Amino acid sequence: MNGIVGNIIQFFLLIAAQVLVFNNIELGFGIMPMVYPLFIMFLPIKINIYILLILSFALGLSIDSFSDTFGIHASAMLIMAYFRPIILKTFEPRDGYEMVESMNTYTMGFKWFVSAFGVLLLIHHTWFFIFEIFNIREIFFILQKTILSTVFSFILCILIQFIFISRRKAR
Amino acid sequence: MRNLFAFFRRFQVFLVFAGLQIFCLSWYFTSLNFPHSQFLSTASVVNGKILETRNSFTKYWNLDGNNKNLQRENISLRNHQPLSFVRLQNQQFKIDDTLYQQQYQYISARVIHSTVNKQNNFFTLDIGKSQNIKPGMGVFTDNGIVGVIYSVSKHYSLVRSLLTENINVDVNIEESGAFGLLKWDGKNPRRGFITGISNDMDVKKWSKVTTRGGSGIFPRGLNVGKIETIETVEGKPIWKIVVLFGEDFRKTQNVYVVRNLFLEEQQKLELKPGQE
Repeated sequence: MNGIVGNIIQFFLLIAAQVLVFNNIELGFGIMPMVYPLFIMFLPIKINIYILLILSFALGLSIDSFSDTFGIHASAMLIMAYFRPIILKTFEPRDGYEMVESMNTYTMGFKWFVSAFGVLLLIHHTWFFIFEIFNIREIFFILQKTILSTVFSFILCILIQFIFISRRKAR
Repeated sequence: MRNLFAFFRRFQVFLVFAGLQIFCLSWYFTSLNFPHSQFLSTASVVNGKILETRNSFTKYWNLDGNNKNLQRENISLRNHQPLSFVRLQNQQFKIDDTLYQQQYQYISARVIHSTVNKQNNFFTLDIGKSQNIKPGMGVFTDNGIVGVIYSVSKHYSLVRSLLTENINVDVNIEESGAFGLLKWDGKNPRRGFITGISNDMDVKKWSKVTTRGGSGIFPRGLNVGKIETIETVEGKPIWKIVVLFGEDFRKTQNVYVVRNLFLEEQQKLELKPGQE
Protein backbone atom coordinates (compact mmCIF):
# COMPACT_ATOMS: atom_id res chain seq x y z
CA MET A 1 0.00 0.00 0.00
CA ASN A 2 2.01 2.90 -1.26
CA GLY A 3 1.22 6.09 -3.10
CA ILE A 4 -1.68 8.47 -2.70
CA VAL A 5 -4.37 5.78 -2.94
CA GLY A 6 -2.65 3.80 -0.21
CA ASN A 7 -2.52 6.86 2.03
CA ILE A 8 -6.20 7.60 1.49
CA ILE A 9 -7.10 4.01 2.40
CA GLN A 10 -4.87 4.22 5.49
CA PHE A 11 -6.61 7.48 6.49
CA PHE A 12 -10.04 5.87 6.57
CA LEU A 13 -8.86 2.55 8.01
CA LEU A 14 -7.15 4.29 10.92
CA ILE A 15 -10.25 6.40 11.65
CA ALA A 16 -12.41 3.26 11.59
CA ALA A 17 -10.00 1.36 13.83
CA GLN A 18 -9.78 4.22 16.33
CA VAL A 19 -13.50 4.98 16.42
CA LEU A 20 -15.00 1.51 16.25
CA VAL A 21 -12.45 -0.42 18.28
CA PHE A 22 -9.89 1.52 20.30
CA ASN A 23 -12.22 4.27 21.56
CA ASN A 24 -14.23 1.59 23.33
CA ILE A 25 -11.34 -0.04 25.17
CA GLU A 26 -11.54 0.91 28.83
CA LEU A 27 -8.71 -0.37 30.94
CA GLY A 28 -8.92 2.08 33.85
CA PHE A 29 -5.91 3.98 35.29
CA GLY A 30 -6.65 6.72 32.73
CA ILE A 31 -5.33 4.72 29.77
CA MET A 32 -6.63 5.97 26.41
CA PRO A 33 -5.19 4.06 23.46
CA MET A 34 -4.73 6.25 20.36
CA VAL A 35 -3.47 4.65 17.17
CA TYR A 36 -4.42 7.24 14.54
CA PRO A 37 -1.14 9.26 14.91
CA LEU A 38 0.45 6.38 12.97
CA PHE A 39 -0.95 8.01 9.82
CA ILE A 40 1.58 10.84 10.03
CA MET A 41 4.45 8.35 9.81
CA PHE A 42 3.05 6.63 6.71
CA LEU A 43 2.96 9.88 4.68
CA PRO A 44 5.79 10.48 2.17
CA ILE A 45 8.92 11.98 3.68
CA LYS A 46 9.18 14.97 1.36
CA ILE A 47 5.53 16.01 1.68
CA ASN A 48 4.72 19.72 1.65
CA ILE A 49 4.38 21.02 5.22
CA TYR A 50 1.05 22.75 4.46
CA ILE A 51 -0.47 19.57 3.08
CA LEU A 52 0.85 17.74 6.13
CA LEU A 53 -0.79 20.27 8.47
CA ILE A 54 -4.12 20.21 6.61
CA LEU A 55 -4.18 16.39 6.47
CA SER A 56 -3.47 15.97 10.16
CA PHE A 57 -6.02 18.67 10.98
CA ALA A 58 -8.64 16.80 8.95
CA LEU A 59 -7.77 13.49 10.62
CA GLY A 60 -7.95 15.06 14.07
CA LEU A 61 -11.30 16.69 13.33
CA SER A 62 -12.74 13.38 12.12
CA ILE A 63 -11.66 11.65 15.32
CA ASP A 64 -13.06 14.58 17.34
CA SER A 65 -16.42 14.35 15.65
CA PHE A 66 -16.67 10.66 16.54
CA SER A 67 -15.63 10.98 20.18
CA ASP A 68 -17.20 14.31 21.26
CA THR A 69 -13.91 15.92 22.23
CA PHE A 70 -14.46 19.26 20.40
CA GLY A 71 -11.13 19.89 18.69
CA ILE A 72 -8.64 18.54 21.21
CA HIS A 73 -7.58 15.60 18.99
CA ALA A 74 -7.13 18.00 16.06
CA SER A 75 -5.03 20.28 18.21
CA ALA A 76 -2.76 17.42 19.32
CA MET A 77 -2.47 16.21 15.72
CA LEU A 78 -1.39 19.70 14.58
CA ILE A 79 1.43 19.92 17.11
CA MET A 80 2.60 16.46 16.04
CA ALA A 81 2.57 17.45 12.35
CA TYR A 82 4.43 20.67 13.17
CA PHE A 83 7.17 18.73 14.95
CA ARG A 84 7.48 15.97 12.33
CA PRO A 85 10.03 17.72 10.04
CA ILE A 86 12.10 18.75 13.07
CA ILE A 87 12.17 15.23 14.50
CA LEU A 88 12.95 13.71 11.08
CA LYS A 89 15.89 16.05 10.72
CA THR A 90 17.15 15.21 14.20
CA PHE A 91 17.04 11.47 13.64
CA GLU A 92 18.27 11.59 10.01
CA PRO A 93 20.41 8.55 9.11
CA ARG A 94 23.94 9.13 7.80
CA ASP A 95 22.98 8.57 4.16
CA GLY A 96 19.74 10.55 4.34
CA TYR A 97 16.27 9.48 3.38
CA GLU A 98 17.06 8.94 -0.32
CA MET A 99 16.30 5.23 -0.39
CA VAL A 100 12.94 5.02 1.34
CA GLU A 101 9.41 5.85 0.22
CA SER A 102 7.49 5.54 3.46
CA MET A 103 8.53 5.09 7.03
CA ASN A 104 7.85 1.92 8.96
CA THR A 105 9.82 -0.49 11.06
CA TYR A 106 10.99 -2.50 8.03
CA THR A 107 12.32 0.32 5.84
CA MET A 108 13.88 2.41 8.60
CA GLY A 109 14.83 -0.23 11.12
CA PHE A 110 13.21 -0.94 14.45
CA LYS A 111 15.54 1.24 16.52
CA TRP A 112 15.04 4.34 14.37
CA PHE A 113 11.28 3.92 14.38
CA VAL A 114 11.09 3.48 18.14
CA SER A 115 13.02 6.67 18.81
CA ALA A 116 11.47 8.94 16.13
CA PHE A 117 7.89 7.80 16.43
CA GLY A 118 8.18 7.47 20.21
CA VAL A 119 9.18 11.12 20.58
CA LEU A 120 6.38 12.28 18.23
CA LEU A 121 3.80 10.16 20.03
CA LEU A 122 4.97 11.49 23.40
CA ILE A 123 4.57 15.08 22.13
CA HIS A 124 1.08 14.24 20.87
CA HIS A 125 -0.08 12.57 24.09
CA THR A 126 1.45 15.20 26.38
CA TRP A 127 -0.28 18.02 24.50
CA PHE A 128 -3.54 16.09 24.41
CA PHE A 129 -3.74 15.39 28.14
CA ILE A 130 -2.45 18.83 29.21
CA PHE A 131 -5.27 20.52 27.33
CA GLU A 132 -7.86 17.88 28.14
CA ILE A 133 -7.42 18.22 31.89
CA PHE A 134 -6.01 21.78 31.96
CA ASN A 135 -5.60 22.03 35.69
CA ILE A 136 -2.22 22.62 37.35
CA ARG A 137 -3.34 20.86 40.54
CA GLU A 138 -3.83 17.62 38.61
CA ILE A 139 -0.25 17.55 37.30
CA PHE A 140 0.45 14.05 38.60
CA PHE A 141 -2.74 12.74 37.06
CA ILE A 142 -1.70 14.29 33.72
CA LEU A 143 1.71 12.61 34.03
CA GLN A 144 0.16 9.27 34.88
CA LYS A 145 -2.30 9.44 31.98
CA THR A 146 0.39 10.58 29.52
CA ILE A 147 2.98 7.95 30.39
CA LEU A 148 0.61 4.98 30.61
CA SER A 149 -1.31 5.92 27.45
CA THR A 150 1.86 6.60 25.45
CA VAL A 151 3.32 3.20 26.31
CA PHE A 152 0.06 1.44 25.52
CA SER A 153 -0.60 3.31 22.24
CA PHE A 154 2.99 2.75 21.14
CA ILE A 155 2.80 -1.01 21.64
CA LEU A 156 -0.50 -1.07 19.70
CA CYS A 157 1.00 0.96 16.82
CA ILE A 158 3.96 -1.41 16.52
CA LEU A 159 1.61 -4.41 16.57
CA ILE A 160 -0.59 -2.87 13.85
CA GLN A 161 2.47 -2.50 11.64
CA PHE A 162 3.56 -6.08 12.17
CA ILE A 163 0.07 -7.30 11.32
CA PHE A 164 -0.79 -5.15 8.31
CA ILE A 165 2.51 -4.45 6.53
CA SER A 166 4.21 -7.48 5.10
CA ARG A 167 7.98 -7.50 5.02
CA ARG A 168 8.18 -8.30 1.33
CA LYS A 169 5.95 -5.45 0.18
CA ALA A 170 7.67 -2.87 2.33
CA ARG A 171 11.00 -3.32 0.58
CA MET B 1 5.51 47.43 5.10
CA ARG B 2 8.08 45.35 3.31
CA ASN B 3 9.39 44.16 6.65
CA LEU B 4 5.92 43.06 7.57
CA PHE B 5 5.59 40.95 4.43
CA ALA B 6 9.05 39.50 5.01
CA PHE B 7 8.00 38.60 8.53
CA PHE B 8 4.87 36.86 7.27
CA ARG B 9 6.83 34.97 4.62
CA ARG B 10 9.40 33.84 7.15
CA PHE B 11 6.93 32.54 9.70
CA GLN B 12 4.33 31.38 7.19
CA VAL B 13 4.29 27.77 8.37
CA PHE B 14 4.08 28.77 12.00
CA LEU B 15 1.25 31.22 11.29
CA VAL B 16 -0.82 28.56 9.50
CA PHE B 17 -0.14 26.20 12.38
CA ALA B 18 -1.06 28.82 14.98
CA GLY B 19 -4.25 29.78 13.16
CA LEU B 20 -5.52 26.20 13.03
CA GLN B 21 -4.42 25.65 16.62
CA ILE B 22 -6.34 28.72 17.83
CA PHE B 23 -9.44 27.44 16.05
CA CYS B 24 -9.17 24.02 17.75
CA LEU B 25 -8.48 25.28 21.25
CA SER B 26 -11.11 28.02 21.21
CA TRP B 27 -13.63 25.47 20.01
CA TYR B 28 -12.64 23.13 22.84
CA PHE B 29 -12.69 25.68 25.63
CA THR B 30 -15.98 27.30 24.64
CA SER B 31 -17.89 24.13 23.78
CA LEU B 32 -18.57 22.99 27.34
CA ASN B 33 -20.27 26.20 28.40
CA PHE B 34 -21.88 27.15 25.10
CA PRO B 35 -23.09 24.25 23.00
CA HIS B 36 -22.43 25.34 19.42
CA SER B 37 -24.26 22.75 17.38
CA GLN B 38 -24.52 19.05 16.88
CA PHE B 39 -22.40 19.37 13.73
CA LEU B 40 -19.05 17.57 14.16
CA SER B 41 -20.22 15.47 17.07
CA THR B 42 -21.61 11.95 17.43
CA ALA B 43 -25.14 13.36 17.19
CA SER B 44 -24.65 14.45 13.58
CA VAL B 45 -26.41 12.54 10.82
CA VAL B 46 -23.50 10.57 9.36
CA ASN B 47 -21.69 9.82 12.62
CA GLY B 48 -24.91 8.88 14.37
CA LYS B 49 -25.75 6.41 11.63
CA ILE B 50 -22.29 4.82 11.76
CA LEU B 51 -22.34 4.46 15.54
CA GLU B 52 -25.90 3.15 15.47
CA THR B 53 -24.78 0.44 13.05
CA ARG B 54 -21.91 -0.42 15.37
CA ASN B 55 -24.30 -0.52 18.31
CA SER B 56 -26.62 -2.89 16.47
CA PHE B 57 -23.81 -5.46 16.74
CA THR B 58 -22.54 -4.70 20.22
CA LYS B 59 -25.86 -4.27 21.98
CA TYR B 60 -26.13 -8.00 22.56
CA TRP B 61 -23.08 -8.13 24.78
CA ASN B 62 -24.88 -6.94 27.86
CA LEU B 63 -28.33 -8.23 27.04
CA ASP B 64 -28.75 -10.49 30.04
CA GLY B 65 -27.98 -7.85 32.64
CA ASN B 66 -30.18 -5.30 30.91
CA ASN B 67 -33.12 -7.66 30.72
CA LYS B 68 -32.80 -8.39 34.43
CA ASN B 69 -32.78 -4.67 35.19
CA LEU B 70 -35.90 -4.04 33.14
CA GLN B 71 -37.65 -6.99 34.74
CA ARG B 72 -36.85 -5.74 38.23
CA GLU B 73 -38.18 -2.33 37.32
CA ASN B 74 -41.37 -3.85 35.89
CA ILE B 75 -41.95 -5.78 39.11
CA SER B 76 -41.63 -2.71 41.27
CA LEU B 77 -44.06 -0.82 39.02
CA ARG B 78 -46.48 -3.73 38.99
CA ASN B 79 -46.50 -3.72 42.78
CA HIS B 80 -47.83 -0.17 42.72
CA GLN B 81 -50.67 -0.84 40.30
CA PRO B 82 -54.26 -0.61 41.58
CA LEU B 83 -54.95 -4.18 40.45
CA SER B 84 -52.51 -5.61 42.99
CA PHE B 85 -54.33 -4.01 45.93
CA VAL B 86 -57.48 -5.12 47.70
CA ARG B 87 -59.86 -2.36 48.67
CA LEU B 88 -60.43 -2.46 52.43
CA GLN B 89 -63.23 0.06 52.66
CA ASN B 90 -65.83 -0.51 50.03
CA GLN B 91 -68.23 2.24 51.00
CA GLN B 92 -66.15 5.35 50.76
CA PHE B 93 -64.19 6.30 47.75
CA LYS B 94 -64.22 9.18 45.39
CA ILE B 95 -62.49 9.97 42.14
CA ASP B 96 -60.64 13.26 42.09
CA ASP B 97 -59.34 13.76 38.60
CA THR B 98 -58.64 17.42 39.11
CA LEU B 99 -56.44 16.81 42.12
CA TYR B 100 -53.60 15.56 39.97
CA GLN B 101 -52.10 17.06 36.90
CA GLN B 102 -49.29 15.43 35.01
CA GLN B 103 -45.98 17.28 35.40
CA TYR B 104 -43.41 14.85 34.02
CA GLN B 105 -43.47 12.78 30.86
CA TYR B 106 -40.96 10.03 30.15
CA ILE B 107 -39.54 8.94 26.81
CA SER B 108 -37.52 5.76 26.45
CA ALA B 109 -34.27 5.76 24.47
CA ARG B 110 -31.27 3.58 23.69
CA VAL B 111 -27.64 4.56 24.19
CA ILE B 112 -25.75 4.01 20.94
CA HIS B 113 -22.35 5.36 22.00
CA SER B 114 -20.76 6.22 25.32
CA THR B 115 -17.38 6.91 26.89
CA VAL B 116 -16.24 6.93 30.51
CA ASN B 117 -12.48 7.45 30.37
CA LYS B 118 -12.24 11.09 29.27
CA GLN B 119 -12.35 14.27 31.27
CA ASN B 120 -15.76 15.10 29.81
CA ASN B 121 -17.86 12.14 28.81
CA PHE B 122 -20.89 12.07 26.56
CA PHE B 123 -23.61 9.63 25.61
CA THR B 124 -25.34 9.50 22.23
CA LEU B 125 -29.03 8.56 22.19
CA ASP B 126 -31.05 7.27 19.24
CA ILE B 127 -33.83 9.87 19.63
CA GLY B 128 -33.76 13.54 18.70
CA LYS B 129 -35.67 16.60 17.58
CA SER B 130 -38.27 14.48 15.81
CA GLN B 131 -39.20 12.96 19.20
CA ASN B 132 -39.43 16.45 20.73
CA ILE B 133 -36.16 16.22 22.67
CA LYS B 134 -34.71 19.57 23.72
CA PRO B 135 -31.38 20.52 25.33
CA GLY B 136 -31.62 20.64 29.12
CA MET B 137 -33.85 17.61 29.66
CA GLY B 138 -32.77 15.07 32.27
CA VAL B 139 -31.77 11.49 31.47
CA PHE B 140 -31.95 8.62 33.99
CA THR B 141 -32.23 4.86 34.38
CA ASP B 142 -33.83 2.74 37.06
CA ASN B 143 -30.52 2.63 38.96
CA GLY B 144 -29.90 6.36 38.98
CA ILE B 145 -29.62 9.55 37.01
CA VAL B 146 -27.26 9.61 34.02
CA GLY B 147 -27.00 13.14 32.66
CA VAL B 148 -28.56 16.10 30.89
CA ILE B 149 -29.27 16.52 27.15
CA TYR B 150 -26.60 18.77 25.66
CA SER B 151 -27.48 19.13 21.98
CA VAL B 152 -29.90 17.50 19.56
CA SER B 153 -30.01 16.75 15.85
CA LYS B 154 -32.98 15.43 13.94
CA HIS B 155 -32.67 11.78 14.96
CA TYR B 156 -29.91 11.74 17.58
CA SER B 157 -29.08 13.59 20.76
CA LEU B 158 -25.94 14.13 22.79
CA VAL B 159 -26.07 13.74 26.58
CA ARG B 160 -23.63 15.35 29.00
CA SER B 161 -23.20 12.53 31.48
CA LEU B 162 -22.59 12.95 35.21
CA LEU B 163 -18.96 12.28 34.32
CA THR B 164 -18.25 15.82 33.12
CA GLU B 165 -16.77 18.83 34.81
CA ASN B 166 -19.23 21.27 36.36
CA ILE B 167 -22.28 19.09 35.85
CA ASN B 168 -23.68 20.51 39.14
CA VAL B 169 -26.83 18.49 39.70
CA ASP B 170 -28.59 19.53 42.90
CA VAL B 171 -28.97 16.50 45.13
CA ASN B 172 -30.08 15.93 48.69
CA ILE B 173 -29.19 13.31 51.25
CA GLU B 174 -32.14 11.40 52.58
CA GLU B 175 -32.54 11.13 56.36
CA SER B 176 -30.50 14.25 57.09
CA GLY B 177 -32.14 16.38 54.41
CA ALA B 178 -28.94 18.26 53.60
CA PHE B 179 -28.50 19.33 50.01
CA GLY B 180 -25.52 20.18 47.83
CA LEU B 181 -24.12 19.99 44.30
CA LEU B 182 -22.94 16.76 42.66
CA LYS B 183 -19.54 17.01 40.93
CA TRP B 184 -16.99 14.72 39.30
CA ASP B 185 -13.19 14.98 39.41
CA GLY B 186 -12.35 13.15 36.18
CA LYS B 187 -10.85 10.03 37.70
CA ASN B 188 -13.08 7.17 38.79
CA PRO B 189 -16.22 6.50 36.69
CA ARG B 190 -17.97 4.90 39.68
CA ARG B 191 -17.57 7.76 42.17
CA GLY B 192 -18.52 11.43 42.33
CA PHE B 193 -18.66 13.86 45.22
CA ILE B 194 -20.99 16.39 46.80
CA THR B 195 -19.84 19.86 47.79
CA GLY B 196 -21.50 22.56 49.79
CA ILE B 197 -22.71 20.62 52.83
CA SER B 198 -21.56 22.32 56.01
CA ASN B 199 -19.93 20.10 58.63
CA ASP B 200 -22.44 20.71 61.40
CA MET B 201 -24.96 18.63 59.46
CA ASP B 202 -25.35 15.06 60.62
CA VAL B 203 -24.53 12.84 57.63
CA LYS B 204 -24.47 9.08 57.90
CA LYS B 205 -22.47 6.64 55.81
CA TRP B 206 -24.41 4.60 53.22
CA SER B 207 -27.45 6.86 53.34
CA LYS B 208 -29.23 7.33 50.04
CA VAL B 209 -28.59 10.33 47.76
CA THR B 210 -31.50 11.45 45.60
CA THR B 211 -32.25 14.35 43.27
CA ARG B 212 -33.68 17.46 44.86
CA GLY B 213 -35.70 18.56 41.85
CA GLY B 214 -35.03 22.24 42.38
CA SER B 215 -33.99 23.20 38.88
CA GLY B 216 -36.85 21.33 37.22
CA ILE B 217 -34.58 19.04 35.21
CA PHE B 218 -35.24 15.92 37.28
CA PRO B 219 -38.30 15.07 39.35
CA ARG B 220 -37.74 14.97 43.10
CA GLY B 221 -36.54 11.70 44.60
CA LEU B 222 -34.76 9.95 41.71
CA ASN B 223 -31.93 7.76 42.91
CA VAL B 224 -28.34 9.01 42.44
CA GLY B 225 -26.27 6.72 44.62
CA LYS B 226 -25.04 6.09 48.14
CA ILE B 227 -22.59 7.91 50.38
CA GLU B 228 -19.38 5.96 50.56
CA THR B 229 -17.02 8.09 52.64
CA ILE B 230 -17.22 11.40 54.46
CA GLU B 231 -14.06 13.46 54.72
CA THR B 232 -13.29 16.79 56.31
CA VAL B 233 -11.85 19.58 54.15
CA GLU B 234 -8.92 21.34 55.76
CA GLY B 235 -9.59 24.96 56.58
CA LYS B 236 -13.21 24.94 55.44
CA PRO B 237 -16.34 24.20 57.45
CA ILE B 238 -17.74 21.74 54.89
CA TRP B 239 -17.76 18.00 54.32
CA LYS B 240 -16.30 16.38 51.23
CA ILE B 241 -18.72 13.53 50.58
CA VAL B 242 -17.85 10.73 48.15
CA VAL B 243 -20.86 9.21 46.39
CA LEU B 244 -20.92 5.75 44.83
CA PHE B 245 -23.11 6.15 41.73
CA GLY B 246 -26.08 3.82 41.50
CA GLU B 247 -25.65 3.53 37.75
CA ASP B 248 -22.59 1.87 36.24
CA PHE B 249 -21.94 4.17 33.27
CA ARG B 250 -19.89 1.55 31.48
CA LYS B 251 -22.96 -0.64 31.05
CA THR B 252 -25.76 1.87 30.47
CA GLN B 253 -27.97 0.89 27.52
CA ASN B 254 -31.63 1.70 28.12
CA VAL B 255 -32.46 5.15 29.51
CA TYR B 256 -35.45 7.44 30.04
CA VAL B 257 -35.61 11.12 29.15
CA VAL B 258 -37.68 13.41 31.41
CA ARG B 259 -39.83 16.14 29.95
CA ASN B 260 -40.99 18.66 32.55
CA LEU B 261 -44.28 20.13 31.35
CA PHE B 262 -44.06 23.02 33.85
CA LEU B 263 -40.44 23.94 33.11
CA GLU B 264 -41.25 27.01 31.04
CA GLU B 265 -43.51 28.33 33.76
CA GLN B 266 -40.84 27.81 36.43
CA GLN B 267 -38.12 29.47 34.36
CA LYS B 268 -40.34 32.44 33.56
CA LEU B 269 -41.09 32.88 37.24
CA GLU B 270 -37.46 32.62 38.32
CA LEU B 271 -36.26 35.11 35.71
CA LYS B 272 -38.12 38.06 37.21
CA PRO B 273 -38.41 37.82 40.98
CA GLY B 274 -40.65 40.29 42.76
CA GLN B 275 -43.04 40.75 39.87
CA GLU B 276 -46.35 39.18 39.11
